[in-house]
Amino acid sequence: MNKGKHDPIFWLFLAPAIIAFLMVIIIPFLMGIFYSLTDWTSRPQPGGLQFVGLKNFIESIQDPSFLYSFLLTFVYTFINMLLINIVAFGLALLVTAKLKFKNIYRAGFFLPNLVGGLILGYIWQFIFNIVIPNLPVLSTIYPAIAEPANLMLANRNSAVMAIVIAGSWQYSGYIMMIYIAAILSVPEELFEAAKIDGASPFKKLLHITIPMTAQAFTITLFLTLVQSFKQFDVNVSLTGGGPSTQFMGKFMRGTELLALDIYNTAFTSNSLAQSQARSVLFFVVLVVISLIQVRQNKRKEIEL
Amino acid sequence: MKKILVVLVLLTALVGTAFAGGNQEGVKDSGVRPTLELLQNKPEIDAALKTYAKAWGEANGVDVVIKTVGGSVDVTVDQMLTVGYAAGDLPDVFVFPGVDDYKKWSEVILDVSDQKWVKDTAVEFVYDGKVYGFPVAVEGWGMAYNAEILKAAGVDPASLVNLSAYKAAFEKMDSMKAELGLDSVVSMAASISMSWVTAHHNFNSLLSNGLPYGDLSVVNGLLAGKVDMDRLEQYAEWVGLLFKYADQAVLTTGDYDAQVGAFASGKAVFLHQGNWADGNIEGAGATFKRAFAPHGSMNAATDGIFVAAPAYYAINKDSKVIDFAKQFLNDLVYTDDGHNYMVKEAGMIPAYSTVKLSPTSPLSQSVQKWAADGKVYSWSQYYFSEDFRNNTLGPIYNQFAGGNINETQFVAALKGAFEGLK
Repeated sequence: MNKGKHDPIFWLFLAPAIIAFLMVIIIPFLMGIFYSLTDWTSRPQPGGLQFVGLKNFIESIQDPSFLYSFLLTFVYTFINMLLINIVAFGLALLVTAKLKFKNIYRAGFFLPNLVGGLILGYIWQFIFNIVIPNLPVLSTIYPAIAEPANLMLANRNSAVMAIVIAGSWQYSGYIMMIYIAAILSVPEELFEAAKIDGASPFKKLLHITIPMTAQAFTITLFLTLVQSFKQFDVNVSLTGGGPSTQFMGKFMRGTELLALDIYNTAFTSNSLAQSQARSVLFFVVLVVISLIQVRQNKRKEIEL
Repeated sequence: MKKILVVLVLLTALVGTAFAGGNQEGVKDSGVRPTLELLQNKPEIDAALKTYAKAWGEANGVDVVIKTVGGSVDVTVDQMLTVGYAAGDLPDVFVFPGVDDYKKWSEVILDVSDQKWVKDTAVEFVYDGKVYGFPVAVEGWGMAYNAEILKAAGVDPASLVNLSAYKAAFEKMDSMKAELGLDSVVSMAASISMSWVTAHHNFNSLLSNGLPYGDLSVVNGLLAGKVDMDRLEQYAEWVGLLFKYADQAVLTTGDYDAQVGAFASGKAVFLHQGNWADGNIEGAGATFKRAFAPHGSMNAATDGIFVAAPAYYAINKDSKVIDFAKQFLNDLVYTDDGHNYMVKEAGMIPAYSTVKLSPTSPLSQSVQKWAADGKVYSWSQYYFSEDFRNNTLGPIYNQFAGGNINETQFVAALKGAFEGLK
């Protein structure tokens, strides 16, 4: 161990990991930045690759549909983070309480996370389009729900909520697991002391459980932030970007999140270089936001 | 000393694995059977094509690999080619739908003007006087109708040739919905994922309805940003008519299955789809008589439906097995097995005069009948880029279908979109 980093054996054992990391992360990442500055098409180009400077970035920022996707992604991320964390924390409190069959519930809440996002999107599409309007229980209490104009996926705002619901259903169980681990690690003495002081369950939650699990919040907020920002598969299969909307005088897809916008720029508009530029912008923004979030959360953590 | 030995052994192992891949590659290349890879986009004929290709490959000493994309999965041939080109691995034969895609891939598409089959078809893909594409089949769309319900409603399908006739017929049947057992008159889909119905197929009515086959006057006008307002307004009225008498749930949120399902179950009289829907309609157990009526997008009578080759096989210029690829396409046209595959197994309408077989499904027969009568209009939508159709036009149709904009705003939005093209 003393010889440390100069030992060839050390590097040899590290080599597979380093090579894999280089090949699939570092090199493609640098190539991506390079391509974003060119007119690359991934098609036969008689003129060869031309260097175009920041043209792709400027055109991206000027494109209303890219700006719209950016704004929509922020809104979606905010709602999604909120809902996932509230649901996940609630579920975690539930399954750490003195409850019969709590292990079965834990497994049950985790299961949706094992369903692929694309399949999940199609299942929820079926629920929103067919099951909800045809459910006798719902349509007798609230007949308007079966009106075609009131379908979840028929309006822009409710369609965004539909993605949030499907996304939360998928991801809450996973986040719940992290909260469970954190809640179980809170020392029992604290609760006993609170009991002697006569604290109500709500006070205990507010002043013991939540502060003591702050380090879990750092992780879960980070994970849900990144996951919501990168949402793609549920978006594609559930709404495909529809229904449409008007923004800055242009007609465009109303529920197209950033990842889908980047994909459509690449494969429908056939502007691969520009979609690469959008990915780079996406990356930079996401890094900045996550750094701010993690720093803010870290301050609230309690060292034991 | 011992340590160096260990390092050496590990290094050789590592280098060995790195080269192992290359060696296997070499063995495969010098193998006895070459491989012919074909990339196509019709999931409905995938099984039939694979069976035929396997038999053909065995007879000719080639391994034919068929790759299929498309259907409801959002991967297109173009995307596969883009990815393949980046990886340096293009298929030997691939499908392309029309001129916009030809231009993207013209560098790798082989000139096949000298092939025998060229004189036996009328719908080969020609660009600058040279033949580049082998037509896969002939397809057509119009307003597919349920002949039995039309008869019960007392509407003569032969009269449905213009806006006023359709308007009267739709109104009449809409008032008889209860007695005819209908949910809606028309089965139409306009959600964003169904833009290929609105912004591709329906859009073509504006481009070529009522014009001589191959007439590009409207297309060229629009591409130059010049809009014929009279034609556009009539077209918008037609779109409005279709949307108004459609089942609103299917229109705004339905997918292909929902759209075809409503027609197949007799809940709608008309279906805005092509003859490819026959398989799905039969699959749903429908046995009623059905055929195509023309689109009524104009005040003037337009007595014909839209018929063309939906896609063409192109041979990759850089392929190592060009001769096999040429032979594969020729054998489709000139052997009984090829005919049998195209018509009987895959259920396609043949694009070649050498094929004497006829498809058995009613909508395909209807397309053949219209084509035999010479009452056909061209497919011109491929002169507009996929980007324009999906990203610009699709949302406009969707807004109109959802009732967010009215007919006047729809006309203005389309006009603005075309003016942005020049």
